[in-house]
Amino acid sequence: MLLPRFEYHRPARLDEALAILAQHQGQAAVLAGGTDLLVGMKHKLMKPAHVVGLEALEGFGQIQEQEGMLLLGPMLTASALAGEPGVRARATALALGAGVLGSPQVRNRATVGGNVCNARPAADMCVPLLALGATALLQSAHGAREVPLSEFFLGPGRTVRTPGELLCGVKLPAGGPGVGSGYQKLGLRQALEIALVNVAAFVALEDDGQTVKTARVALGAVAPTPILSPGAEAALTGQVISEELIRQAAQAAAADARPIDDHRGSADFRRQEVLVLTRRALQQAWQAARQD
Amino acid sequence: MKKLAITLVVNDTEHELLVAPNRTLAQVLREDLGLTGTKQGCQVGDCGSCTVLLDDEPVNSCLVLAAQVTGRRVRTIEGVADGNRLHPIQEAMVEHGAIQCGFCSPGMILSAKSLLEKNPDPSNGDIRQALSGNLCRCTGYQKIVEAVADAAQKMGRA
Ligand SMILES: Cc1cc2nc3c(=O)[nH]c(=O)nc-3n(C[C@H](O)[C@H](O)[C@H](O)COP(=O)(O)OP(=O)(O)OC[C@H]3O[C@@H](n4cnc5c(N)ncnc54)[C@H](O)[C@@H]3O)c2cc1C
Repeated sequence: MLLPRFEYHRPARLDEALAILAQHQGQAAVLAGGTDLLVGMKHKLMKPAHVVGLEALEGFGQIQEQEGMLLLGPMLTASALAGEPGVRARATALALGAGVLGSPQVRNRATVGGNVCNARPAADMCVPLLALGATALLQSAHGAREVPLSEFFLGPGRTVRTPGELLCGVKLPAGGPGVGSGYQKLGLRQALEIALVNVAAFVALEDDGQTVKTARVALGAVAPTPILSPGAEAALTGQVISEELIRQAAQAAAADARPIDDHRGSADFRRQEVLVLTRRALQQAWQAARQD
Repeated sequence: MKKLAITLVVNDTEHELLVAPNRTLAQVLREDLGLTGTKQGCQVGDCGSCTVLLDDEPVNSCLVLAAQVTGRRVRTIEGVADGNRLHPIQEAMVEHGAIQCGFCSPGMILSAKSLLEKNPDPSNGDIRQALSGNLCRCTGYQKIVEAVADAAQKMGRA
């Protein structure tokens, strides 16, 4: 399977990269790990005249922590995120999602920026990032903006990012004492599998260690984009956390899911699984919040 | 399509190459360097036949542009044996009947090599996890997993 022809750009500086994108508006594709883009180009789903590789840009593969926020460079690979102790401790759901994406070979190339910009409804890093309250940092030749992930996805493969914009990072609150998150993925196989349903949960407890200050539940593969469950959030916030409360939140999440029937599973089955996986993800998050 | 000058360190030898940007690492290894031990199966990252080590980590070389990895180190199956002496993983694969048609073997061996370099004493689960991106349609995997476990033991003793 051959790749179509294109000109390759390998900018070493961000302003250079943004200038190339501005110059070739709509004709240029950004290349990170290539595990989505090159597959699509081989299948002739896209045929960009220009490809802009991000591998030479400095700092794009870094993790920084400042003022309680984690700043993830867009070129961080799934392997790096899954193995990094800081991410495992402070953004557990993301490390767990990154660790079950594709296969070892795919994880060594697949980047967080690629996962977010590719915007698949079941993406293993998008669903955790949504639950963790992440924000996309976009930059173009004309300026920068920050978009919460809850407003970033528009549909399968569609986001608010314009062709001239580069995702320059993902920002999220770093977890600490009383904060925890969890991730659950259901597939038909243990590896190399796109989720049939995936759920990430985030819980932050008040100082009393039992009242829920903030909670978010993100659902994958049950809507055209990864979605947050407002029902689960409402059920949990301000309440004393318990197994029973978690069960109620899971029910609310299942009610918020909008799954469809497809060749991979029925809508009914998916809704049932949202219930089960939300319960497990919340239990994971609660346990992690209690441990710190 | 402007060709690009790149450098690749393949099996410890530096190569300066002029490549079209749309050529994958797998193509350049096979066609320009004659290293046909790297197999091309599905060509979209599912099967793992084209696995090579990029700076010691397994990747699907069908989904990497050669131009993307200029300056980096690549190890292919041709760079695993020590002259005519097979690597312990290769030896164990032969002994355990873990090679049937052989198409997946180069990729399997490279994935296993990367595992054993990081984790010399892997559990059965660790081995299966490390090989989960390499499909085999002949063996049913059991013999391959046994071969890697055996190689790990022998390498530990050596
Ligand atoms: C065999 C196989 C198995 C897979 N399994 C899974 C799985 O289990 N779960 C899962 O979620 N995904 C899976 N994927 C999909 C893919 O690996 C992930 O979505 C991955 O995170 C994409 O990252 P990348 O760096 O390879 O992206 P690329 O392919 O380089 O880019 C993806 C898209 O994002 C754009 N882009 C990338 N970076 C930026 C940036 N910084 N700014 C602007 N635009 C950008 C590109 O232009 C392109 O449109 C699989 C893919 C393969 C081939």
